[in-house]
Order: sequence, then C-alpha cells, then structure tokens
Amino acid sequence: MGDVRDFIIIGGGHNGLVTAYYLARAGHRPLILERREVAGGAAVTDTIHEGFRISSLAHACGPVDPGVVGDMALERHGLEMLRPDVRVFAPAPDGRGLLLHADPARSARSIAALSPKDAEAYGRFHESIGRIGTALSRVQRMIPPSIDRPSAGDLWNLLGLGKRVRDLGPKDMYRLLRWGPMPVADLVAEHFETELLRAAIAARGIFGTFLGPWSAGSSTVLLLRAAADPHSAGTLAVPRGGLGALTRAMSEAAIQAGAVIRTGAEVARIRVKDGRATGVVLTGGEEIPAKAVVSNADPKRTFLNFVDPIHLGPDFLSRIRNYRAAGTVAKVNLALSRLPRFTASASVADAAGGNGAAPLSGRIHIGPTIDDLERAFDDAKYGAFSKKPYLEITIPSILDPSLAPAGAHVMSIYVQYAPYSLKDGEWESRREDLGKTVVDTLAAYAPDLPGLILQRQVITPADLERIYGLTGGHIFHGEMALDQIFTMRPLLGWARYRTPIEGLYLCGAGTHPGGGVTGAPGANAARAILKDRR
Amino acid sequence: MASRYDAIIIGGGHNGLTNAAYLARAGRKVLVLERRHVLGGAAVTEEVFPGFKFSVCSYVVSLLRPEIIRELNLPKHGLEILPLDGTFAPMPDGNYLWRVNDHGKTFREIARFSRMDAEAYEDFGKAMVAMCHFVKPILDMTPPEPTSLRLKDLRKLLFLGRRFQSLSAVDKYNQVQLMTMSAVDFLDQWFETDVLKACMSASGIIGTFLGVRSPGTAYVLLHHYMGEIDGAFRSWGFARGGTGAISNAIAGAAREAGVEIRTEAPVARILVRNGKAEGVALASGDEIRADIVSSSVDPNLTFLKLMENGHLPDDFVEEVRRYKFRGSSGKVNLALDALPDFRSLPGPGPHLRGAISISPSVEYMERAYDDAKYGRFSRRPYIDVVIPSLTDPSVAPPGKHVLSCFVQYAPYNLREGTWDEQGEAFGDTVIDTLAEHAPNIRDIILHRQVVTPLDLEREFGLTEGNIFQGELSLEQLFFLRPVPGWARYRTPVRNLYMCGSATHPGGGIMGAPGRIAAREILKDSGQGLI
Repeated sequence: MGDVRDFIIIGGGHNGLVTAYYLARAGHRPLILERREVAGGAAVTDTIHEGFRISSLAHACGPVDPGVVGDMALERHGLEMLRPDVRVFAPAPDGRGLLLHADPARSARSIAALSPKDAEAYGRFHESIGRIGTALSRVQRMIPPSIDRPSAGDLWNLLGLGKRVRDLGPKDMYRLLRWGPMPVADLVAEHFETELLRAAIAARGIFGTFLGPWSAGSSTVLLLRAAADPHSAGTLAVPRGGLGALTRAMSEAAIQAGAVIRTGAEVARIRVKDGRATGVVLTGGEEIPAKAVVSNADPKRTFLNFVDPIHLGPDFLSRIRNYRAAGTVAKVNLALSRLPRFTASASVADAAGGNGAAPLSGRIHIGPTIDDLERAFDDAKYGAFSKKPYLEITIPSILDPSLAPAGAHVMSIYVQYAPYSLKDGEWESRREDLGKTVVDTLAAYAPDLPGLILQRQVITPADLERIYGLTGGHIFHGEMALDQIFTMRPLLGWARYRTPIEGLYLCGAGTHPGGGVTGAPGANAARAILKDRR
Repeated sequence: MASRYDAIIIGGGHNGLTNAAYLARAGRKVLVLERRHVLGGAAVTEEVFPGFKFSVCSYVVSLLRPEIIRELNLPKHGLEILPLDGTFAPMPDGNYLWRVNDHGKTFREIARFSRMDAEAYEDFGKAMVAMCHFVKPILDMTPPEPTSLRLKDLRKLLFLGRRFQSLSAVDKYNQVQLMTMSAVDFLDQWFETDVLKACMSASGIIGTFLGVRSPGTAYVLLHHYMGEIDGAFRSWGFARGGTGAISNAIAGAAREAGVEIRTEAPVARILVRNGKAEGVALASGDEIRADIVSSSVDPNLTFLKLMENGHLPDDFVEEVRRYKFRGSSGKVNLALDALPDFRSLPGPGPHLRGAISISPSVEYMERAYDDAKYGRFSRRPYIDVVIPSLTDPSVAPPGKHVLSCFVQYAPYNLREGTWDEQGEAFGDTVIDTLAEHAPNIRDIILHRQVVTPLDLEREFGLTEGNIFQGELSLEQLFFLRPVPGWARYRTPVRNLYMCGSATHPGGGIMGAPGRIAAREILKDSGQGLI
C-alpha cells in the first residue's frame, strides 16, 4: 500500500489540533479523526436556544500557551480574545461582595472594604504567586524528564528549571516546597483573614478536581494554574464567539499547514502488530493504516477501549485502571431574557466603575467561605451531588453581545461537586434535580434569576462521558493530584507522550501539563513525536 | 550539684533523655531538666488510680530505633518489649476482621471477605517492607539544606535521587504513591474489602488533622509501618510496666553515662546573650549556665514561650507561628473490673490481647474526620483500644484490667464550648461508641480518665495537644521540619539546639531526633559519636 498516512490523530479537541498543526508544519500530513460532527472536543460553541450561543463546556481559556497562539497565528485565523478587567466577582449571601481585577492595586482597594489587613497581604500574595508561577512556567512546555535514564536534554531542562527556581531565592523556594503539599485552605489562611477572599482564591486549587479546600495537595493545583497563568486571581480570556471560535481558528491553522480533519469518524480500535501501532479501525469497520497513531483521547479510553489488552502488560493495565479519573464537575448553561441582578453588585458598583454589568463580566465565584466549599465536597465524598454546590460562572454575552439577542444573555455555570458515580439513582434521572439545585443556589445571590431563564441545559458527568468522550466525565482527562502530575501523568515512567506500544502516542490533557485549554500537552507531544521521527 | 554544665537538656521525654545519654557518652557534663514529677514526657506510666498503672499518652511501641536499644543497652536498664499480636476490628453488623502475625490465620480471616484481598495482603506486606527499607536510612539522616549549593547538601540530595533511581520500576511507582496519595486511594489499588481498608488506613491519620482520603496520609501509613519491618522484634508491642519503662530505661542509661536528671524543675527562660544561649533560668529563679542548651520541647514553647523577644529574626518567628500543631486526638483510660465482651466475638480470648480497632468502614473514618473539620469531636470516633494488663499483669490488680483508648478526632480548637466543659461528654461518646460493640463495657468501668487535647497541652506541654509535637504533614517533614531552613537541629540562636519530635524524623517513640541531634551537637564541637 503506497500511500500510508504517517500520522492519525484520534480526537479533534484543542490538543489534537495543536499536535496536528506542529506535525503538519514539520512536513507531515496528519489525519484527524473526530467522533462528533464538529471538531473542538470540550472547546466548542453550541446553540442552546433560538439566537443564544454559548461555550457549552469549557468557558474560558487556560490561557492558551502564547507560543502556540503565535506559531499557529490564531489571530490571523480569526481568533479575537476578550479580556475583561474584572477577573473575579465573589458575592456573599449577606450582600457584601469582592472584586478582583487585572490590576492588583484595584483589587486591593476592593478588598480593603472588607479588611485593610488583607488588602495589604493581597499585594504580597500577588507578587509571590507571580514570581513562583513565572519560575514554574517553563515546566508547562517541558517534556517531563525520564526518571530511569535522564537524557542530557532532560538534565539541561531540569538545570534550567532549577536555576529559575533557585533564582527565586530561599524564601520563595521554601514557599514552593511548603505550599505544594499543603491544603489550599491552609495556604489562603496563612495570607488572609476574610473568608470571602480566602474562598475566592482557594477555588483555583480545587476547580475540576476531586479535592476539597482541606485536601492536602490542593495548593499544588493552584500552583500549576499559576504556572500557566501567574496572576493571583487567574486571567479570564474568552474568544469572541465562544471557545468554538478558538478551535475553529486552530482547525484552520492545522488545515492550512497540511492537516486533514475528518468529522463523524469514530475510532473503535487501534490496530497493533508486533507491538507497533499500524493504524485504526472506525466503528463503521473502515480500516485506516498509519505509521503512527496519536491519541488525544484520555488515557483510560485510549488503553482500555481502543487497544487490545494483550498488547499491554498486566502491570501497565492495572496501573491505568488505577489512574484516577472520576469526574466531579457538571455544567449548566442558561439562556436569560436579561442580566440578573446580584444583591452584592451594589457593594462593588463603585469599584467596578459604576457600570452595572462590569462586575459580572469576569468569573463569578459562588462559594463564599472555605466551609461552604468543603461542605460541597463532603456531599460528593459520599456519592451525592452538592446540596449547595460551588459554582464558577461566566456571562460571556456581556463582552460578546453576538452570543445572544439584544439585551438577552447566556450564562455558563460550572457546577462542583457532581460525582460521576452517584450512590442513589442514575444521572439520567437526577439531571433536573441538579439543574434546580444550581438555580436555587444561585437565586440566593441573584433573586430574580429564576424568572429570567428561557432555556436551561444541564450537562451531567454521564453526558460528559457519553457526548464528549471524557472517561469518568473528568474534564481534565484524569485527576490533577500530586500523584498524577508531571513525571507521573498519566503514569510514572510513561509521562513522555510515548506509550508501551511503539508508534502510539498520547497528546491530550491526560499528559503533562494536564487539563485546561492551554494547548501545552498537544505542543509538547508534537515535540516528543518529532524527536522520535528524527 | 555543679552549677555549670556542658549541656542542659530541656525536657525529660524520651528524646531529651536520648539526647542527654549520647552527649554524656561523648564525655559531656549533662543536666536534664524535667517540668513534671515523673520522667518520660508523653512516654510515661502513671498510677492514675490506686493499683492501676496507665501509659497515659503514648501506649504502644514499635518505632524505637534498634541502634538506640543496642547502643544504650536498654534491655540491661530494664527495657522489655512484650509482643502485641494482631488487630481486631469489630463491625456493627456482628462481623469482625481479625488480623494476626500468623500469616495463614490472617489469610483465612481476610479470605472470609475476599480471597483476592487475602492474596493481595501478602504482596502488600512485601511491598511495604521494600518501601520501609528505602525510607529507613532517611530516618537516620540529618536533612540536607535544599536551597544551599554546598557540596554536602547537594551530595545528600543526589544520594536520595540515586537511591530512588536504583529502585525497581514497581517500587518507584509505590514509593511515589506513598509520598503523594491518600491512604484510602493507595489501599483501593490493593484491596476491595471496606473494613480491611478502613482498619489499615487508620494508621495513616494518627497525629494528623487529615482524613483517610486526604493526600499525604499514605506517607503516615508508611511511617507507622516502619515498626513492622524485620518481623516480630520491632513489630508493635508493649513495654513491660508501660511506656514509662522505655523512658526509665533510657534515663538509666543516661545516668550511668553520668547525666544528672532533675524532675519538678520547670525551665522558665532560656538565657541568651549576644545571640548565644548561655543556660536557663528555672521557674524557681535559679540560673544554670551551660555551653549549649538542647530543647526537646516543641518550637512553640522553645522559641515563643521560653525565650524573650528580640533574640530571633522576625521571619523565623513568623515561620514558627505558622508551624501547624492542631492536635486531633485524645485518650480515654479505663480501669476495669472485668474484660469487655464483644458482640461480634464473645468471651475472653487472644483477640483482646492485640489492638482493638473501632474502624468499621472507610465512610465511618471519613465522617469522623468531617466532624473535626467543623470544630467538633467525632460523634463516632476512630478508637484504637489496647488492654495491656492482659499481656503485662503488673499494671493492674489481680483480676482487674487497664484499657487504653486512643481517640481521633478530638480537635484542639472547638467551635463551641471549651475542652474543660466538653471533656466528660467526649468521654461519654467514647464509652457509647465502645458499648455499641461491647455492651458490657459500662458495667465494668471502675474509673475513667479522660485526656483531652487541652490536657495534653497543659499536663504534658504538647502545644495544641499534638502528640507528635507538630503535624506529620508533607509540608512539615524532612528538610521542612520544623521550619524551612532550620531542619538541622540548630536554631538562629547559637548553642541552642532542638532535639524533640518536632525535628526530623518526627514523632512516635523513636528516639531518632534525640540521637541525630546529639550527633549534630557533637559535630559542631568537633567530635563525633562515641
């Protein structure tokens, strides 16, 4: 067979597209096989109601690695990033509110209204997170070193990282060492006295994980986020047109570079011969041979669904089975007849510059105290979704009116915790309960919300698995925990995008540096793959 | 009595005494000052009720470093370890899980629940022993200074790296998991039987303010597993005469080496001049001079209570304030007229001679933790029960018994009320919990002693009642214990050292901190261990 494709990429999510682009740029013609009718994976824009479009799953970028944005010339392919000045709005039920801005000085002024002491502390916190995050940023684009036989390149990278870290000086180095394993609740308590501020900052350490703020290691998650985005409150970067616009731009960049995207093409099996990947078989039975296969699907799906177990050692298999990927997040999307009124908006109106919509243009954090967040987690530990969930909300139509009819809005709500396995009942039968719980929780902060809802879309962990192909409904392709990051993602010894099967690679969020719409795993994987080709 | 010494040791607990013994054996003139009327600190035996001798705090031994037993010749000074065989875990449904040292028996017992688990249990034991052997040398190591570029430190870090590299792939995998995972997540990979996982995960939370599902607890599991390595000799046991006998044996060795020991001699102040420790001032007012002062009490007492302001750099003080104690456990000691009778396995029998673990399910353990998170003692706590009088009749009158309950969680900081108000309610909760498994318990209690975290602080000088002089959480281990930059037994004050459980390798009746500290002290005065 003369024309065997050199690369097949399973899954047209953002990481798959990034890998495809870099492979194509290197002169290959990768074929991307996307199960759904549209590429984009978890970064897509859907219409949930006549005239209402929304990022149905991921609603903000991680942010996308600047190197990737530059290389793929995403702006040229129509990407326009919207960055509100308000980063986080954290309302409390008692009507008090907190605003975190891009500018720490402005944030400090908002914090001062709650606690002058914290306003001062915030500046220091912002700086040390900034310094540590920047020092770690290099890790994002690193192929994790080999533990058994570190190559010269590995050592060079580690030295580079070591130097960056050492340049922090002993104080920050020790912060890094101490903070890593700490519960994020302790981390914020060391800095701040105001519960609302503690909770708003701590949220970054638990988002998308099966951890509560009191779980040791949740600070590591926060530091990983800071490595991608050294701002203490996290940036908010939303593409005009929703996240679908990002993956559309990525698709165009990849295609222009020479990649081919085929949608509605679901892979059933990866063919392996003599320990080598030789292509894939689609659910329709069609066989597509290839010299190498790159999977953007999560590790469990890749190894437990696509590959015949006989090609993987029992030891490797049991480890992959033990790879923790039980989702904790659900998504609720609302079409609203107008902007809801948050009772706490008044308290921050001046800080936000008067404009009523401004406070709501960033992330809205619902979960006013550490206890609220931890209690939400407690429910999940015992197999129930949170009675009072922690919510991360965006209203993208404020910055991007094109998403909804004039005056109307779309609201995107991440709901935590919604454990994949429920103790009582199936998700199918609990969907509406979850939707109601979310709206009720939110109504305590924005009483007029229930009356504004034109359409409600509830995406349960079961849907995340069924529709988006996320095993266990885990939005990050597996838990981001101390034992599943860097050289241990997905598994110790297999963190370099290669697999026990020659010519089979991973490029998704189940590899370093993990979840979030950054494109870094895809870019790192491409580097590792191209190294092998040389 | 002389009024000038080479070294003064603050605190006559097992680490202080160990530290003293080693310094004296190196020819130093050493004075140990103990606040209480008895030696031993938290490793103490007291006749709380006439005829009933209790290991009031620490109640079993397993971690005591063999080199210390050997070098200080503790058996000659009366140390005798009696084996504590097995763990009996009664369950509310009338079933129970009983693990003993006899592999065949344990296999059959676990197989009642799951044959797969019974087989995995053997492999698990082997894996843990391998892990213990990896960690063992670290227990005897002065932590390196990770931020320094000194060759010595780099070499140590390299040594650890190489050691890790030399592990087999499987051991690497296990080791990394043990350092990072929660006890339950780790055990989930090996076992399916809930009660087995619950019972085993219990040793992962002792002395911490963590739940069995909190990452980091797998390490504490390993920390307690150390005792199990190399078979029976160092597996969990009682000291004849109670844990106080261990302290007394070490004290014996110290005295023989020339150490002078004073009880009821509380230190009020550490004397510091121009950044140098010069001795101590007792509560009585006398001042005693010494070239060095070595403190076996925790950092809070050493640096914030026993020292006047101004001798320490601000950021050091800040770090010490940050050091986490938050005790999470209490003790309930009972004098019994007869033996408890368990519904799940009635009558007296060998199952009462081992540990009796009230840890019926993982959810039970986790819910106990949830209470503590929100500032209440557990409504249904994890309880580790032992009845030493069955193994060592000398601790109770004939026919009578002493029963010791280690109880978690009992958070030092209560959201409502004080421990003085809640102490008895706490005791009642423990009895109620026991009564669910051994209904006759209420009728056989002659006396009850409740030791709350507050009591541990007041009576035994353990800040916030933490039995390990500070949480054994990952961010407070090795070169981070007790505080970053000061994990090498030295302090910002010259000639002032730390030698207690708040230093590497931490708590438990181990003696390692006292021994390593002695080595460092002697190093500074240019003389190795004798």
